[in-house]
Amino acid sequence: MSASYLLRRLLTILLTVLIVSMLVFGITQVLPADAAVMLLGENATPEQLVAVRARLGLDLPVWQQYLGWIGHVLRGDFGTSLETGLPVGEVMFTALGRSLLLALLSLLLMLVVAIPLGVVAALRRGRASDLGIGLASYVGVSMPEFVTATLVLITLGNPAFGLLPSTGYVPLTEDFRGGLARLVLPVLTVSVILVAHVVRMVRSEMVDVLGTDYVRAARMKGLSRPRILFRHALRNALLPTITVVALDIGYLLGGIIVVEEIFAFPGIGRALIVAIQQRDLPSIQAGALIMAATYALANLLADLAYAALDKRIRYA
Amino acid sequence: MSEAPAVLSVEGYDLSYGRFAALRDIRLAVPRGQVLGLVGESGSGKTSLAYAIMRHLPHSAVEGGGAIRLSGQDLRAMTAQQMRHIRGSRLGMVFQDPSASLNPTLRLGEHVIEVLRRHKRLTRPEARDRTEAMLRRVGLREPAAMMRRYPHEASGGEKQRVVIAAAFAAEPECLLLDEPTTALDVITARQILELFTELQAETGVAALYISHDLALVSRIAQRVAVIHRGRVVENDPAAQVFSNPREEYTRRLVAAVPRPDLRLVRDAPAEAAPVLAVQGMTVRYGRQGLLQRLAGRAAPLPAGAREVSLELRPGEILGVVGESGSGKSTIAKALVGLNGFEGALRHEGRSIAGPAAMDRDYRRAVQIVFQHPDASLNPRQSIGQILSRPLALYGTPDGLSRRDAVAALLEEVQLPADFAQRYPHQLSGGQKQRVAIARAFAARPKVVICDEITSSLDVSIQAQIVQLLLQLRERFGTGYLFITHDLNLVRQIAHRIAVMYRGDLVELADTAALGGPQSHAYTRALLDAVPTPVG
Amino acid sequence: MPDTLRHLLRTPQGLIGGGIILMALLAAIGGPAIAPFDPEAFHVRARFSGPGATYWLGTDQFGRDILSRILAGARSTLFLAVAATALGTVAGAVLGTLSAFIGGWVDEALMRIVDAVMAIPNLLFTLLIVTVLGASGVNALIALGIAFTPGMARITRSVALAVRQQDFVNAAVARGETGSFIVLREMLPNVVGPIIVEATIRVAFAVMGLATLSFLGLGAQPPSSEWGLMVAEARPYLFRNAWMMLFPGLAIALVAVAFNLFGDGLRDALNPRA
Repeated sequence: MSASYLLRRLLTILLTVLIVSMLVFGITQVLPADAAVMLLGENATPEQLVAVRARLGLDLPVWQQYLGWIGHVLRGDFGTSLETGLPVGEVMFTALGRSLLLALLSLLLMLVVAIPLGVVAALRRGRASDLGIGLASYVGVSMPEFVTATLVLITLGNPAFGLLPSTGYVPLTEDFRGGLARLVLPVLTVSVILVAHVVRMVRSEMVDVLGTDYVRAARMKGLSRPRILFRHALRNALLPTITVVALDIGYLLGGIIVVEEIFAFPGIGRALIVAIQQRDLPSIQAGALIMAATYALANLLADLAYAALDKRIRYA
Repeated sequence: MSEAPAVLSVEGYDLSYGRFAALRDIRLAVPRGQVLGLVGESGSGKTSLAYAIMRHLPHSAVEGGGAIRLSGQDLRAMTAQQMRHIRGSRLGMVFQDPSASLNPTLRLGEHVIEVLRRHKRLTRPEARDRTEAMLRRVGLREPAAMMRRYPHEASGGEKQRVVIAAAFAAEPECLLLDEPTTALDVITARQILELFTELQAETGVAALYISHDLALVSRIAQRVAVIHRGRVVENDPAAQVFSNPREEYTRRLVAAVPRPDLRLVRDAPAEAAPVLAVQGMTVRYGRQGLLQRLAGRAAPLPAGAREVSLELRPGEILGVVGESGSGKSTIAKALVGLNGFEGALRHEGRSIAGPAAMDRDYRRAVQIVFQHPDASLNPRQSIGQILSRPLALYGTPDGLSRRDAVAALLEEVQLPADFAQRYPHQLSGGQKQRVAIARAFAARPKVVICDEITSSLDVSIQAQIVQLLLQLRERFGTGYLFITHDLNLVRQIAHRIAVMYRGDLVELADTAALGGPQSHAYTRALLDAVPTPVG
Repeated sequence: MPDTLRHLLRTPQGLIGGGIILMALLAAIGGPAIAPFDPEAFHVRARFSGPGATYWLGTDQFGRDILSRILAGARSTLFLAVAATALGTVAGAVLGTLSAFIGGWVDEALMRIVDAVMAIPNLLFTLLIVTVLGASGVNALIALGIAFTPGMARITRSVALAVRQQDFVNAAVARGETGSFIVLREMLPNVVGPIIVEATIRVAFAVMGLATLSFLGLGAQPPSSEWGLMVAEARPYLFRNAWMMLFPGLAIALVAVAFNLFGDGLRDALNPRA
């Protein structure tokens, strides 16, 4: 992998994020919301509104408004919330940090559960355990997060059982055990769809790899079973899985929006929902842009990991 | 079979899948130091037999009576655990395609080291040293560097040498080789074969050499067994199988093997003006990227074929040979407008500037048949629909309905008329290729470009397709540009042969003169490498 | 086509998925007729009852029969999901085909935009569109359709490009066929199959997506008995009567499972070489 490839990929991401910024800005322009009204309240006089619009640059042509906005964004200034008056960038990045913690823990749990299950299903193809795992994964990919979340809530989070706290967030630095306990349910919920999806992927890749000539050749060399399974088969089966996991990050970020809402978890998804409900344009713009950029970066990371692991791929 | 005790022996072995009897009463024996060739067409059961010997059968396989013995021990009585210690140490296997049989994420050296570690119980440094020596022995020049490479960083020949080194690493008593040279180009195949013969003589390993290529097997094996529909129909000394086959099936098989000394075409093409003439044709790949064009540093695109000149007279068969990537197909695609080209193309004296200038007359006159009928026939169209298209484009013969014309076309390629209702996936490979040929002849072309059209077919089907092409030529006076990698076949039918090497046309000569003292060095190397039948 | 159907019903996925979809369709068509109660009727004395002999799946906070509501909700749920998928599929197929055939910078630009849109998590994108259009079932449908478009465009494009490489297309080009013949007669029949498969599986996502939007209050509005909305309305009573959210939630999952299964079965059945 060359430096020029890396540079080109970074440029592509920049281009993607730029297009996203235009899209998001465009959408917020047609949103039925008037920032001036929101700032001054319903009782403002027309003169006051005109004055505020001029101060905010809302009387300028759309493209000038966009350039002004993106210019500030590039300097790290996402504007201030119409609702709270706080700097939006700071708020969103703090929320993103919490969301990333949730996302990473979910990914970790997914890997730990999905890979062994997928491998078992592939090795025991056509038997009861394979069919069971297959059926469970069908159900898993077919449950929207809000259904999973409510299911998790009425079982593990049910106050009648007193197992786990059902909602809220406590920073791990403040109360490690309490914080962790509050992460269990959201992480579990987010993982379900991911696990179900990745299990199917690992299984089908593993089945393919087990049928390749090189695995058959390894068997015909009389190698030990662990060696065939781990060195020859699993390694090659996991490579394509990385790409799928990268694409799943899109679902992950989408799913997190709902899960955060249900578990009252103050991440970027919940912040976005609140912003949308309040028509808080700067917050919507910043949140959407940050999420898209995160997604694009995650995809780049997955590509780099793939390239590092698969020696056949050389990006020129 | 009484001379020496057999290292590998199969005694009255039966195998079936459900009701299908895959192997029936197989009897074979391979003594120490000997090579037994096992020849059969696809579906004959040769690969099933190999895996039965390796004791690696699918769950659906049901074994009948009989024994499989390695140095007297019955392998059928072995547990899976015992077999894992026998495989790779006493009984080895070499596969067809080294690109597929080597793990892409494992370094080449590791493929040999793992065998030594497992079966010879060597420490890693010992195994590494032994591997280096082995790789040197199989003719790899810089073994230490080669060990660190990944499979995609080595050539096909180098990879197959590594596979062979791994197979010989644990000093097996017996080796099964399943078409070990089929995926390689002719010259590399020859080198691999020589290497195997040397190692075999040196180690005295008993070998079962499985192949569809009777000519090749008769060159390296002492005995040849012919397998047909699960039965060994012939098991005789190699020379005898060729010169004096016992069974009817073997006779047909031998007759189907192309032999350059048996010409199938006797007439010479008329001394007429060429139908197709190519002058200095260069075909380039890809297109300039936007960035390069903007930067104004457009480098010339890589050429798939360079400065090729050839002409084809009416009714002439012009063979084009060369290994994969030599540019044969590139030229073929350019001639039918699938690739742009530089240089001059003339059709009956008329200049054709490029794909856009190929009008209906030209396209009617120049038809193409592709290598894989699976890919060249639209899976969602019936045979009737497929054959109707050229008729709609180029016209139906006088007085015939479209339907009758389709039936007539099917008859020309010796297929029943009711095939018109069928779909490609309901036909065998040979039948599909006949449909593709019928589609080309619907246009009543002057030239048909045959791009490796028999290479995915069994040898007996290949012989029938070639026969069909010759009959059609007799009837319609069609010329062929016959592209192939099979030198024996092309020497049977071509009037002249063009040899291509890495995009260049290195030689164009009368078939009889090919390989003579004036011939290009590459041509001679190619001819030397081709196994011709014994006897 | 009857051939495909026969193949389809022979795969276990096709059979089970098809069966469930058929049941859901019956509910969508005849739901109110076969429902034991009026889905809007309050049964004040039987509020929050669990599953039982009278109210098979129990009742909600107003004592409305849950089974009747689920049956009535099948219509809006199924209709909206299929329509949203159809919208996204048609729009995506047109864009993807155009992109593949025009090629060059148009292709490049279109695919860049598609990449960008796909970098916005699907749900977020849908949320933004619904916010612009206003919360309602039909707007949720449109939003989801738009959100599906880039993915379908990308898939159509790659399938079209793969088919374009096939020798039967080369043969048609060499024969001198016109561009429209090649596209419509040679390529399209081979492109449609994979797209139908993908679209079928997308219906499952659409069911889930629409339900999620309703759950967030941005889709169907009360007193509709759209399933996602039913779950949302059950939320305050989560620990009091879990059945209220369990059954509509299961209905969503069941229909989504069915379309997932059906799509996988269709994939096997549509393979002409099978």
